Amino acid sequence: MATKSGNATALTVLSPIKNGIMDDLSFADITRERCLRLPIHEKSPIARVPNTYLARLFVLDDVVYESLPGSDSVFNFSDITSFFSDTARKDALPRKDRLQSKYLVFSSNFYGDLDAYLTGVWEKWAYDDYGIQRDVRYIWEHCVAFDQVNDCSDFIGYIKKCQLDASLFFNGSTDDSLQEQLKSLYLKQEFTRFVVAHQGKSAAEIQQDFKEFVKRVQPENLNGPSWQPGQSMP
Amino acid sequence: MSNIAGKAYAMNVITPIRWYKVWINRLIFKIALSKPSTLKGLVTLSLIHYARWVIIPRDGFPHLDSSQPKENLNYAYMLFFSNFNGSWDQYVDSFTFAIPAGLDLFWKWNVRYPKSVPLSPFHKYIRHNQIDTSHYYNAYPMAASNDVKSAKKLKQALINFNAESASKTSEEFLADYNRLLNYLQHDFGEMRATPIVSLAAHAVKERYLKSHAAH
Amino acid sequence: MTQNLELTDIQGNIVKAYGAFNFTKARYLFLRIDNGDKGREFVGAVTTKVTSAVRWEKNSMPVATTNIGFTFSGLQALELPTASLMGFPEEFVMGMKGRKDILGDDGPSDPMYWDKIWQETVHIWLSINGQSIEAVDERYQWILKQIEASDGGVTLLTGHRGEKDEDNLPYQDASVLYDAEGKPTPKEHFGYTDGIGDAVFEGQTNIQARVLGRGKLTRSGHWEPLATGEFLLGHVDEAMDYPQTAPTPKLLAHNGTYMVYRKLHENVGSFNRFLDEQSKVFPGSKELLAAKFSGRWRDNGAPVVNAPDDASKAEWDKNYAAADFAGQKKMLIDFTYNDDIDGAKCPISAHIRRINPRGSLEYGVKDAYERPGALVDRRRILRRGLPYGKVKDPTRDDGNHGIIFMALNADIKRQFEFVQQQWINYANDFKEGNDKEVLLGNHDAKNPGKVVFQVEKGSGKAPHFVNNIPRLIEARGGDYFFIPSITALKMIAGGIVDPT
Repeated sequence: MATKSGNATALTVLSPIKNGIMDDLSFADITRERCLRLPIHEKSPIARVPNTYLARLFVLDDVVYESLPGSDSVFNFSDITSFFSDTARKDALPRKDRLQSKYLVFSSNFYGDLDAYLTGVWEKWAYDDYGIQRDVRYIWEHCVAFDQVNDCSDFIGYIKKCQLDASLFFNGSTDDSLQEQLKSLYLKQEFTRFVVAHQGKSAAEIQQDFKEFVKRVQPENLNGPSWQPGQSMP
Repeated sequence: MSNIAGKAYAMNVITPIRWYKVWINRLIFKIALSKPSTLKGLVTLSLIHYARWVIIPRDGFPHLDSSQPKENLNYAYMLFFSNFNGSWDQYVDSFTFAIPAGLDLFWKWNVRYPKSVPLSPFHKYIRHNQIDTSHYYNAYPMAASNDVKSAKKLKQALINFNAESASKTSEEFLADYNRLLNYLQHDFGEMRATPIVSLAAHAVKERYLKSHAAH
Repeated sequence: MTQNLELTDIQGNIVKAYGAFNFTKARYLFLRIDNGDKGREFVGAVTTKVTSAVRWEKNSMPVATTNIGFTFSGLQALELPTASLMGFPEEFVMGMKGRKDILGDDGPSDPMYWDKIWQETVHIWLSINGQSIEAVDERYQWILKQIEASDGGVTLLTGHRGEKDEDNLPYQDASVLYDAEGKPTPKEHFGYTDGIGDAVFEGQTNIQARVLGRGKLTRSGHWEPLATGEFLLGHVDEAMDYPQTAPTPKLLAHNGTYMVYRKLHENVGSFNRFLDEQSKVFPGSKELLAAKFSGRWRDNGAPVVNAPDDASKAEWDKNYAAADFAGQKKMLIDFTYNDDIDGAKCPISAHIRRINPRGSLEYGVKDAYERPGALVDRRRILRRGLPYGKVKDPTRDDGNHGIIFMALNADIKRQFEFVQQQWINYANDFKEGNDKEVLLGNHDAKNPGKVVFQVEKGSGKAPHFVNNIPRLIEARGGDYFFIPSITALKMIAGGIVDPT
């Protein structure tokens, strides 16, 4: 189960990348480069995945050693023992952790249920990679056991195994469907322009033009005029 | 490509937490979920689309196959993902000034968390533990979280108005129309491209678009 | 916590707005350093005349002041050690031209249209403020002598636009504007009363009377001075931190700060036409409309939030006339937007509300933030400067008239640039999308913007839209300067800055 806030869902995926190299490049670096090369905004493959609000990809190479000063406890017993014992002093230093695998991190905020969403990821994720058409498998290709993913249901099962629950999901926006959000934004932009242009006009004129306006923008028709997912220019 | 997509900034922070303190954090998150007033500052600040905190126990990293080595960690890890408006450099002050206690409450239990005030140790702590995003997608690069929320309000009001008032007499129509505009007077902000909040990110984007256009 | 400033060490322009002390005239010079040794010698010579922040008694007030600052390349030319240079912040290193995309200096404000002097490499800023033009000129002649004595060490740069279509003047003059009777006024060319609500920080004098509306708002509704470190390096700031923009060694930074210098041309013809046209559709007087642009009435600076229409303005004026000097000051500065969160009185886009929203970014949600001004207290600047030029034909934009705008702050990026970008040219913090502030916004002629003037909620009235806003202010030049302490000036001049 991914984490929900109303109809908004937080999906956190950490897919281990195979240790090893291909053509003098590690699988992790190949994966990262593929993420970095993805087209952006309306051309991003994620723009085609229904109901994605915001999503990101990156490679987690390792965890970070806490080398900075700072005190995380109300009282550290070791602060005192450290004066008298060098072993105690060393023991009080933060531990060094190293990850055994690098992880492809996919974090998405979307509308609706996980299965439907992942079906969209599997089926719709597509982009032009400098002239070559790619699908979602290209990004996950070098992850551990991804070679066993052959169809949509495998993919959903795979992602669920890589999925982590959020302890807290803060929704500072809405939990409407993306189509609903985009239509609302489109209406906000269009109606704002309408009201500014009609300031001071006669009642009859505003009323007449408003009818035309409604006909044009079709407020209740989500499939009518709207903003496109990832649209970066007005 | 970058941490920025239109008006949103993707932040990823991963910080170690002692495994025997994980329950405290989970409890605090639970309280935050059940007591909305905990997040009052964050809601009023209204800079965030969506944010999440994920705790990975020491044995919690996904393990898929016997070919994958098992993790052997001293600490549990807390992952923080946020989608907020503006850049971190610009808004670090706003976050720490508006909700210092909230930030401390959520990170306090993490190894060597320095507290949110004074600011520069906190700023360094976040940067130290931040992982940059390789690809960031935003469904509405021209809209801030404020805009998405105000658009929702506007759409509903517009539909109601159209249903109730469009066919009234002109005079009644105008009175209702003015009432509608009054109700929406804080929802008429124009949405255009984001101001350039980082010259470096902007330069990367320009080069990137150029190289894509060349293909 | 009280703090005594080391007034003898701090340059006077940081602590004092000279205009408030009858210094009605100013002249700004820009120089290039051609030789490190001789350049440092020149700096040493000028330092002897640099005006400190020391308190003036009636009989000790000078007739002219001198202050000095350096660009990053100026400090390089003075051969500061690399380790010191590397301690300066990115935006200062880049300079104002390099930051044009952050500042919105596009279209007619693009640096390619700036005064010719800004096509040169500027190293030094020198200012002279005088009680008379004669006093200014006398100090100017003295500086010319030092330049000559530098024997090619420094060059006075030419290329300022002037009154008579000159484009090659060796200095920028500025002056207060005078009324019909020849009395000095606090006005600028659009007719607004300027320089009322400057920030007040800890260590300044006469705090009690000045801090109202100008310091930081406390939870209990009182005003306290802002932390010194917001405006002076080496002092603790609002984040309980030392400013992170300070170079090493400490003495180089301590008691110094950063200054933004901008020559802002005012399109007076466009402004007058715009005001006339918009007032035809505005429900209220033309003066009320002008007041709503800025948040203050043009004639006497009355805050619109306390005089939101013509009738209440008449009442305000009556009370103002009856008040004593201290009472008048208080009426001008002591206000908040707490009873006007919706902007029905003072529009959310009004100039003074955009640059200093006081407690209003809490949106009336009590105790949402640590302090009501949590989002504001780290964004304040000290405003300095004077108008320049004369308006010969109020129907025209061309000519040479505007404001020399100077802002002092410890962190240009966090304070000046943030306000310019996020609050003037953008408005997400005000929930107004990309709507730009009317007077200073970099309005796009091809795609002109609008702002909303809110009305009483639930009144059934539509808000008013001010649209087709033209570019009223154009940048004509400027840069970022480091204003060192007098101790640091001596160290720079002596070539003894050592960051080891």
